[in-house]
Amino acid sequence: MKRLTLLALALVLSGGVAIADTIKIGVVGPFSGPAAQQGRNFQAGIDAWLALNGNKIGNDTIEIVYRDLPTADPAKSAALTRDLIVGEGVRYLAGYYYTPDAMAAAPILVEGNVPMVVFNAATSAIMNASPYVVRTSFTTWQTSTPMAAVARERGIKKAITVVTDYGPGVDAESAFVKGFKDAGGEIVASVRMPMNTNDFSPIMQRIKDSGAEAVFAFLPSGPATLGFMKAFAENGLKKAGITLLAPGDLTQESDLPALGDSALGTLTTFHYAVSHDSPENKAFVAAASKAIGDPASLTFPAVGAYDGMYVISKMIEATKGKQDAKAAVEAVKGLSWISPRGPVTIDPQNRHITQNIYLREVASENGKSINKEIRTFEKQGDPGWKAP
Amino acid sequence: MTTDATVKARNAASLGRVRRSAAVDATAVVIILAAAALLYVLFPGSLALFTRMVAIMMLALSLDLVTGFAGIATLGHAALFGAGAYAAGILASKFGFTDPFAMLGVGAVAGALAGIVSSVVILRGRGLGQLVLSIAIVQLAHEAANKLSAWTGGSDGLSGIAPAPIFGLYRFDLWGRTAFILAVALLVVVFVLLRVIIRSPFGMLCRGIKQDPVRVRAMGAPVYGTLVKLYAIAGAVAGLGGALSAVATKVVGLDSLSFTLSAEALVMLVLGGVGKLFGALIGTFVFIWFEHLVAAINPFHWLTIVGVMLIVVVLFEPRGLTGAAEALWTRARGGRR
Repeated sequence: MKRLTLLALALVLSGGVAIADTIKIGVVGPFSGPAAQQGRNFQAGIDAWLALNGNKIGNDTIEIVYRDLPTADPAKSAALTRDLIVGEGVRYLAGYYYTPDAMAAAPILVEGNVPMVVFNAATSAIMNASPYVVRTSFTTWQTSTPMAAVARERGIKKAITVVTDYGPGVDAESAFVKGFKDAGGEIVASVRMPMNTNDFSPIMQRIKDSGAEAVFAFLPSGPATLGFMKAFAENGLKKAGITLLAPGDLTQESDLPALGDSALGTLTTFHYAVSHDSPENKAFVAAASKAIGDPASLTFPAVGAYDGMYVISKMIEATKGKQDAKAAVEAVKGLSWISPRGPVTIDPQNRHITQNIYLREVASENGKSINKEIRTFEKQGDPGWKAP
Repeated sequence: MTTDATVKARNAASLGRVRRSAAVDATAVVIILAAAALLYVLFPGSLALFTRMVAIMMLALSLDLVTGFAGIATLGHAALFGAGAYAAGILASKFGFTDPFAMLGVGAVAGALAGIVSSVVILRGRGLGQLVLSIAIVQLAHEAANKLSAWTGGSDGLSGIAPAPIFGLYRFDLWGRTAFILAVALLVVVFVLLRVIIRSPFGMLCRGIKQDPVRVRAMGAPVYGTLVKLYAIAGAVAGLGGALSAVATKVVGLDSLSFTLSAEALVMLVLGGVGKLFGALIGTFVFIWFEHLVAAINPFHWLTIVGVMLIVVVLFEPRGLTGAAEALWTRARGGRR
């Protein structure tokens, strides 16, 4: 009994003396449901960062608290975020796969004194929703804009756009149409497909009839994308010499095995390819593949999460473990580092990541389909962002 | 003289019935308030969750009205909830009317209107046809909200909703205290009103229609008109829930008009017990809290565990949790008899 009392006393004293602290980071993402694979990529990116850097920053230990948000559900996102801040006492928020979820959480940040690092949600407007939002992913405007220049350089005069009718799809369309028209091209038609379209034959017919030399397409990654790519090959558009252009969401690495040879030669522009050739990326891919279990399912959200963890670690360093969201965000404005995707900077003005956008071609290497980087557009900001 | 005695006896009996049901109502209100107070004290960090629960409870109550009491099969009830949520949200973010009570009022009215419109379509069908029509309605509403993105924010969700403090005094704080108290107060009012409506001749008529619509028509009572009225009331309740959600979370998303939410509400109702107002409350509470707990413990495989729970409840107690409680109660009393 006496020993127990002494032990308790020792514990209390050591707790009082030590300056070490546990800093909780709340991560909201789709860990179940149809987008569970993207959530696993969040987790793999975080685990990879922890494996390479350890869970200590200075004297503080970081702890990750996961919350599942399977679909875009802003009301639930707001409730989960509040619960993380007031219930769990997290000092940093991270993750957020869908735009509505990030938009719902953003208004809570200032009152909660918590910065938020967006790992994926890709609409430009999120950055204006709160001064405490920092983003390490991309925007659809950012990844789609260089494609217009590529199309013109390859001698394409007439193009048609085909996008899914929802926020990111409309963003992709606007970005490409603006870039393509500015470069002197002609958009012969813009088709918006309803969210649940599964039969793409009529769309393919419209593309054929439009007389366009190239089609710019955007669909949310997943089964619909597979259907679209298959329909493109089966309806003979590829044979007819029509070029398929798209942002890289359409050919994410985890979908490539299912797309097979039908995707070969597809041109995409994106911020990250798992095959990117750099020592930083090799280390990242090795650690993240180990974390995710099945290396074939490793894809772009993992790198957003990995870089997000780097940003959060810098925030913790700068605030020396104190809870000060304003100082934390100020500290990472203008922060530059070498990410697995290449050199990146947090834009001090809108807190979005400035990065290289790569033109890639789906190619076969050692019997495996990869997104082969063939050209680099350096230091691309977010053309879709408008100052509030 | 005999008639006089009968009338007196009947009066006494009905007076007794009124007193008894008033006592039941009072007990129910006390239980709700006590539960709310307990949650407030024990889980001060989770008030946002409880507020969301109350909003969904309104949807479940509304669904119970049409499904449990009038026997209308629907998988599109979220359309009414979403109508209320978007109406309140648009009022605040586009027109700048941020008074929370104005938002709630407009939400209830929009819900009632949506209820009338959807009832006109849904009541054309029977059984499976009715179900299909109800799904069509919620899908149409969903697509309309997606298309009208200038008003609804489309798939990005409607943001920029900043409700003013209640009475200009109590602002909506980070901890969600104000929102929670407002939600519980609304719930109590709605619950009591619904109890009164169900007991009224109108409520009896609805139950009669559920049992045998042909006979009710033969008696000379209007079936169609009664159901449309019931749908308007249900719509107001669901719309109020939607508006509460908009006020408390400050965002409205397309999910509030989704088939998924409609189906989930039905699951909660079945879990709690169809045809009992308390069943709607208990089912929603247990479902959302269980989901929340399991998802916090294991964010990666929680859906499986929730699925297993539902199968167990439906297999072993098809009348839901309130049904199970009633069975236990009668067994205890039967033992004494």
